[in-house]
Amino acid sequence: MDRVKRTSIAAALLLGMAMLVDALVSAQGPVGPAAPPDIAAEWRLDTNERDLTSQAPLGDYTGIPFNEAGRLRSDTTPESIWGTPEYQCRPHSAPHQWRGLGGARILKEQDPLTRDVNVYHIQFMRSLDRPVFMDGRPHPPAYAPHSWTGFSTGEWIGNTLKITTTHLKDGYLRRGGPQTSDMYAMTEFITRHDDILTIVTVIDDPLYQDQPYIHSTTYTFDPTFRLNTEICNGPAVAENGGTDRHFVPHFLPGTNEEARNEWITAGGLIAGAARANVEAQDWVPLVAARGGVKTLYPEYRTTLNGGVSADALQVPTMRSSISAAKMIAAQSPRDGQVHVLPVQGSVYMLVVDGTNITASVGLDGVALVNAGSVQMSDKLLAAVDQLVKATVTPAAPNACIGANCPGAWGWSSPYMNAVISSPPPTRPIRYIINTSAAPDHTGGNPSLVAAGTGLRGAQLGGAVGNVEGAPVIAHENVLARMSAPAGKEAPTPQAAWPTVTYFDEFLKLPAYFNGDPVIVYHAPQANTDGDSIVFFRRSDVIAAGDLFSTVSYPVIDLAKGGSVNGVIRGLNNIIDLAFAEYRSQGGTWIVPSHGRLSDTADVASYRNMVVMIRDRVQDLIDRGMTLPQVKAARPSLDFDGRYGNTTGEWTTDMFIEAVYRSLQDKK
Amino acid sequence: MRPVVLLATVFLLVWPAAAQAQPAGRGGPPLAAREAAAVDLTGYWVSVIVEDWKWRMVTPKKGVYEGVPLNAEGRKVGDSWDPARDEAAGQQCKAYGAANIMRLPGRLHIVWNDANTLKIETDTGTQTRLFRFGSAPPAGQPSLQGNSVATWLPAPGRGRAGAGPRPGGSMKVVTTGLTPGYVRKNGAPHSGSAVVTEYYDVNTLPNGDQWLTITTKVEDPQYFVRHYLTTSDFLKLPNAAGWAPTPCSAR
Repeated sequence: MDRVKRTSIAAALLLGMAMLVDALVSAQGPVGPAAPPDIAAEWRLDTNERDLTSQAPLGDYTGIPFNEAGRLRSDTTPESIWGTPEYQCRPHSAPHQWRGLGGARILKEQDPLTRDVNVYHIQFMRSLDRPVFMDGRPHPPAYAPHSWTGFSTGEWIGNTLKITTTHLKDGYLRRGGPQTSDMYAMTEFITRHDDILTIVTVIDDPLYQDQPYIHSTTYTFDPTFRLNTEICNGPAVAENGGTDRHFVPHFLPGTNEEARNEWITAGGLIAGAARANVEAQDWVPLVAARGGVKTLYPEYRTTLNGGVSADALQVPTMRSSISAAKMIAAQSPRDGQVHVLPVQGSVYMLVVDGTNITASVGLDGVALVNAGSVQMSDKLLAAVDQLVKATVTPAAPNACIGANCPGAWGWSSPYMNAVISSPPPTRPIRYIINTSAAPDHTGGNPSLVAAGTGLRGAQLGGAVGNVEGAPVIAHENVLARMSAPAGKEAPTPQAAWPTVTYFDEFLKLPAYFNGDPVIVYHAPQANTDGDSIVFFRRSDVIAAGDLFSTVSYPVIDLAKGGSVNGVIRGLNNIIDLAFAEYRSQGGTWIVPSHGRLSDTADVASYRNMVVMIRDRVQDLIDRGMTLPQVKAARPSLDFDGRYGNTTGEWTTDMFIEAVYRSLQDKK
Repeated sequence: MRPVVLLATVFLLVWPAAAQAQPAGRGGPPLAAREAAAVDLTGYWVSVIVEDWKWRMVTPKKGVYEGVPLNAEGRKVGDSWDPARDEAAGQQCKAYGAANIMRLPGRLHIVWNDANTLKIETDTGTQTRLFRFGSAPPAGQPSLQGNSVATWLPAPGRGRAGAGPRPGGSMKVVTTGLTPGYVRKNGAPHSGSAVVTEYYDVNTLPNGDQWLTITTKVEDPQYFVRHYLTTSDFLKLPNAAGWAPTPCSAR
């Protein structure tokens, strides 16, 4: 090719490229900024919408799409619940955090190599640090713990940061009472316009709301703003003066006079010196004060002259994007599989076809709290074996070369052997502890016992060598329920029976196990007469057995010695043993028999529920109601969506009947 | 290949794209606002009153100014509120001006009035707001809805002409030239000096619904001690169902 031709070709290509670039540039639509605006800064709450930032009067549910359950829960839950020891350090609930006074700080954590933002951290005065993961990680499984701030992931959609938050504890929408369940999810849209930050918050609670509750708020950029922190360091100040640490303040349905007096009675006078300067708000109709979907839309104004009732209104509809039933079921997946969740220290939670087994795993071997069903034994054994291999005896890459490696005996290095040899054997099952005689806790005993090897003295007193088969520990009433007097047919095979029983308030294992002092506590007359809880004291984990479930009301078997007050005593015992890490969450982990891993506040919430229902049923009994009348009164209405069932082995009806009969027995 | 042929080939390959883009291209006329939209606001929207319900859905008593940053002069004017007087003076629409109309319960119908003017009609009070893109309109007489100048705030990156708005863009509107009015129906006043700055954001909710949030800042050196900052929220509707034009009410 001659020089002229090459030059011509090059010129033609250059011209073509220039025209192509020009065409592409010309075909552009609007050109935006290179990146979304930075939101990491100090922000001052700056909104003139007062009813969400100020303390709303009790009973003020205006603008909230409450259903009947949401109203009942809110009417019966007083603010003094904050005075209970388990809630005294509770931060603002997630829906209210952007509304709490004190401003917000947004920090960003970036990848040191790419400088991509991996995590935003949002902080408020009365909150925990709230990470928002931007790195694409998935949300945890449903059986993972919930927290006050939940688990958040974020993604940029244009100039807006969309945050999706799950795994939230039950809390409140606003200060002053409107409650949430723990089944809500929260979506936030954060957009920065100049120096204004607009936050749209979608709270989707299918149990207490007829449609998502969506509010928006604004902050303004203020580099001089100082975000204070409120560290909870005061003792609980219970409204009963501290005479009963287990006291659960609540109102019986229809008796919350504070709410009525403050807000919703005719005249609507604001009571209390603290609110003496607030204007009377008697222009608000009673029905609107109770909230509800039909009060949110412009159509509601047609009711103000009395011509139309709110019930008759046709208003736009918004559906929830959450199925509470699916979310609850996912906390306890009946999928025929074993799921492993690391808990703390040497303790793991195994979700075995919907039933939780607590496992202590370490060099001492394996201790299992409960054995699962007989059908799941093989998969459980395989999962335990895999867990031990992964955590206690993992195949590790060589970490040292040469004669001076720690533990090396000259040039015959064990590290060489580590590379070329097979891994050591796994550690055996040393203990099985049954928290009750329920088949889903004891069915797997025979297989697990056979697969295990007891420690010398594991029979708690037997000064012998290692024994074949792992011992099964339980309260003596469990053995009584599973066996039968001589000559009679036992309800379960002998291979499943406990081999070590106790009859005192508690039993200590003879020695530390995997570094843990392990204590088995009896819970008398609870679900049955043989329930236990197991405390791994150093790992700080409690296996709660059937006393605690996050997917159902407690199963109270009156025929086997159970009682509602015994369940409450057992839950209080768990609460007394447990210790929150900070701001009423974390710390001691509690493994329920079914459902998600929990902490002290979760158990307190469950205890509160049982107490509230017990007291409501007692009130109905005191008023002379029969069992059918008590059931018809629906004393558990606000909790039925969360813990109730209309079908299955343990229905709401059965629970109410058990509470009713239990209270009649006065156990 | 001969250079001329090569040149022609390259030209033919590239020209169609260039020709297609010419109307919006560099050196050509700028994209009209409608084509350059950073967010699609058109359609019917209904307000959802979840915040400040007791001061928006119903008219509070005279003198209830919670949340409104009135100064002493503003309070004095507010305290003299007399709806009967407003009605007699034909001024029952004073709470329906640009500074407050989006706070009132009602529906919006948003359409393009022309290629560079977005029109918002409200059924409550039967009002019309016009948002003009590009150069500011000539200052006319002050009015209830004033003069509104709009700009797009596109999402990051470059869009393609004709491809529609990319998610995550917004609209900013600045309104001046207002007649004195109310920021709350009970007579909490703003003066004719008020400037209203609004940001319009549309987000897609987890359930698929479209949600419009309008962030409104009202600055009034005469009656306010500082700016008055609020947000108002709307749900997008599939059609005009429920559209019910009603006249202004002073009460």
